[in-house]
Amino acid sequence: MNSTQLIIKGVWTDHPIFRQLLGMCPTLAVTTSSINGISMGLAVLFVLFFSSFVVSLIKKIVPSQVRIAVYTVIIATFVTIVDIFLKAYFPDISRALGPYIPLIIVNCIILGRCEVFASRHSLGVSLIDALAMGSGFTWGLFVLGSIRELFGAGTILGFKIMPAFYNPLIIMILPAGAFLVLGTLVGVMNKIEQKR
Amino acid sequence: MKDLLLIVVSTVLINNFVLSYFLGICPFLGVSGKLSSAIGMGLSVIFVMTLSSSISWLIYHLILIPLEITFLSYVVFILVIASLVQIVEMFIRKYSPPLYQALGIYLPLITTNCAILGCALFMIARNYAFLPAVVFGFSAGVGFTLILLVMAGIREELQFNDVPGVLKGAPITLITAGLLALCFMGFSGLISS
Amino acid sequence: MKDNLKIISVLTIITVICGFILAFVFTSAQGKIQENQKQAIYRAITTIVPEAENIQEKTYGEDLVYELKDKNGEFLGYAYVTDGQGYQSTISILFAVDKDIRDILGIDIIESVETPGLGSRITEDAFKDQFKNVPLAGIFEVVKELPQNPHQIQAITSATVSSRAVVSIVNAGIEKLKAILKK
Repeated sequence: MNSTQLIIKGVWTDHPIFRQLLGMCPTLAVTTSSINGISMGLAVLFVLFFSSFVVSLIKKIVPSQVRIAVYTVIIATFVTIVDIFLKAYFPDISRALGPYIPLIIVNCIILGRCEVFASRHSLGVSLIDALAMGSGFTWGLFVLGSIRELFGAGTILGFKIMPAFYNPLIIMILPAGAFLVLGTLVGVMNKIEQKR
Repeated sequence: MKDLLLIVVSTVLINNFVLSYFLGICPFLGVSGKLSSAIGMGLSVIFVMTLSSSISWLIYHLILIPLEITFLSYVVFILVIASLVQIVEMFIRKYSPPLYQALGIYLPLITTNCAILGCALFMIARNYAFLPAVVFGFSAGVGFTLILLVMAGIREELQFNDVPGVLKGAPITLITAGLLALCFMGFSGLISS
Repeated sequence: MKDNLKIISVLTIITVICGFILAFVFTSAQGKIQENQKQAIYRAITTIVPEAENIQEKTYGEDLVYELKDKNGEFLGYAYVTDGQGYQSTISILFAVDKDIRDILGIDIIESVETPGLGSRITEDAFKDQFKNVPLAGIFEVVKELPQNPHQIQAITSATVSSRAVVSIVNAGIEKLKAILKK
């Protein structure tokens, strides 16, 4: 499989959110605004990239019985690094994402890619796959966050978009809105796929 | 006693893990199709969650804080959860083969069930004492199971309904969950002070 | 047996390596994190009391109280950080009072994880300003309709729990500060 195919898979045909329905917890929880969506996406991209890097390097020496535990420890380490980094340099983002940063550890996308891909492929290919899946995840979160912010607060990235008379639908920012928007989006993606 | 009861009501109904924190959505989408597997999954989550929140509490307060190494907490918690899941898996395999057959593929997934790690993290963030922490873990599991069962019931009915083709499967489940979350918002009036 | 040994040693080695890496990252970032927290508190104090140019930390046992003075060294009052349970998680609030603890000068929310769009509105000025320059004759209470006196705080629509939490945290905090300063 060449790298172009890998990238197309990650950002479209095998999209982690819309097609594989992985990593639902951060997808739904932090997308109350577009900026939160991007931050979470980038944090996941970082962890996914470095975890795939390490997993691909050590795949030969890890006994298969404990591989999941080893992968999880590696992922948890990178997540802690992200957490500390955000606290130190971007305290506002760290506060907004709150407890959902440590929950990246159990984001099935990361463990899934480590287990299914990085542990079976060479370093270069694993890194491309990680980048592709991570970017797919990031744009998915951005779109979801923007839609919810647009209808729920009338803004995108904090800029006023909706006309002044628009009364924000708070429900879009609330948990229920997250489910409704994602459900509809997955449906829309299915529709686009069917047409092709 | 009143405090503990408050924790139960608020974690099971008001701040339900699935509907308001989105924790445990993956198994929620995966096993909520059939009532029988939902029950098994729910029970193992309650069990693992209660145990993991108690053990994590003890480790956090008796080891990590005195040694000032709380930055290791994520790594430690996830190891506790992973080993517990392993134990539960061995236990079920030995004593209830049919249950093991039904849940086999989902049990390892409990490790990556964000609800369980989330439970440990929330209990630390909220500074619970030991007993409230255990109660919190248990009721979070009960809340998860409750939603899983409600959802499984709805989805079994949904099979016989005419759902638009593109919405079949995950999309309609998510939309149903959204409506369910709306209903559960009504519970927030239960606690007034 | 040999397998078991390998399993255990690999797992242990990796965990130990990860532990060391984390210890290193943590110690190198710790100063910055504490600096950030301090900055956030100082920023909150100067938004409430813009004249406060000289802020001193005083410890009373385990409690930290900030003493505020203006540029001429005139004593303005105290600031104190207190926390309590909100709707979803702990809310941490900073409030400032005058030097005799007769008036509350204002409050700011340092940390909170309330429901976005509802409870999170406790961080908006419209809510916080209700605590601006109010004489501390009685305790604060929450009302849903228009407040009749300065001690009534109007709750945020459909976020009564968060509003109540803020008010009771502030009430308790003031009592605690009085006890600390013995006033």
